[in-house]
Amino acid sequence: MITLFAFLILFYSQGNILQVKNQWVRPGAKGMATALYFEVENPTDKPDTLYKITSDISSMIQLHETYTKDELMGMRKVGKFVIKPKTSLELKPGGYHIMVMKLKSDIKKGDEIEFKLHFRNAGSIIIRAKVK
Amino acid sequence: MTFPDVLKGKVLVIGFIYTNCPDICPMTTHNMYLTDQKLKKEGINGVNFILLTFDSERDFPSVLKKFAEIRDIKFDNWSLLWNTKQKTDPLLRRLDILAIPTDSSYIDDGELNYFVMHTDRISLIDQRGHLRKNYKGSTVNLDKLYNDIKTLGKY
Repeated sequence: MITLFAFLILFYSQGNILQVKNQWVRPGAKGMATALYFEVENPTDKPDTLYKITSDISSMIQLHETYTKDELMGMRKVGKFVIKPKTSLELKPGGYHIMVMKLKSDIKKGDEIEFKLHFRNAGSIIIRAKVK
Repeated sequence: MTFPDVLKGKVLVIGFIYTNCPDICPMTTHNMYLTDQKLKKEGINGVNFILLTFDSERDFPSVLKKFAEIRDIKFDNWSLLWNTKQKTDPLLRRLDILAIPTDSSYIDDGELNYFVMHTDRISLIDQRGHLRKNYKGSTVNLDKLYNDIKTLGKY
């Protein structure tokens, strides 16, 4: 009975935690900038906020969005990304993205780069993003 | 500004970029790269791909070389062009390309963290150096670009 109860708790919690998936990063040369993309799924009943990203590959990582104004494309810093309850937020080319600046080394196609995503509720989630 | 002689008489696909752009300009570059790969797969090698920077003050030839190499761009039919702002600006104006600095700030180490609001463009130039068509660089329909190149080059 205890085993069944523990299993049910485990099953319930696995389906109800914030998840990051489909992560990838563009190639970039040492000293230059690149972008990280991923999807955040929030199956919980509470909103969560992504407010910071850290990595050994760069000490300057910002949350960004690409925008269009008068047929020109621009990019600007965003303070945070809020993921509403029971929704997903997709960071993708031409939209929200993570700008990774002043790379400490070259990152080439096929490499995998580790990033730590900091959320207000879920805490820190470590991901490995494939370079492609 | 004039294009190098080696490019005269050829079909040119030109993308307008700056290397500090992490999102739009890499998309444009990647779309050109995919088009080049498809053409080469079909045995079409006569098309030249050009990336022209509108950030003359930072994208020096050494920077452009690194930008290309990390993306596996081969220089056999690709040229990454730089010139002074004084020489590049008139060409950009003629091609209706705008690049306006925005949201720039100095970071902890004193370096300038800068962004540019810019036209998102790939242009197709014919063998006589005439502009034939413009595309939205980051989201261009690759089949359309590919077919236009084939039509123009009579491949």
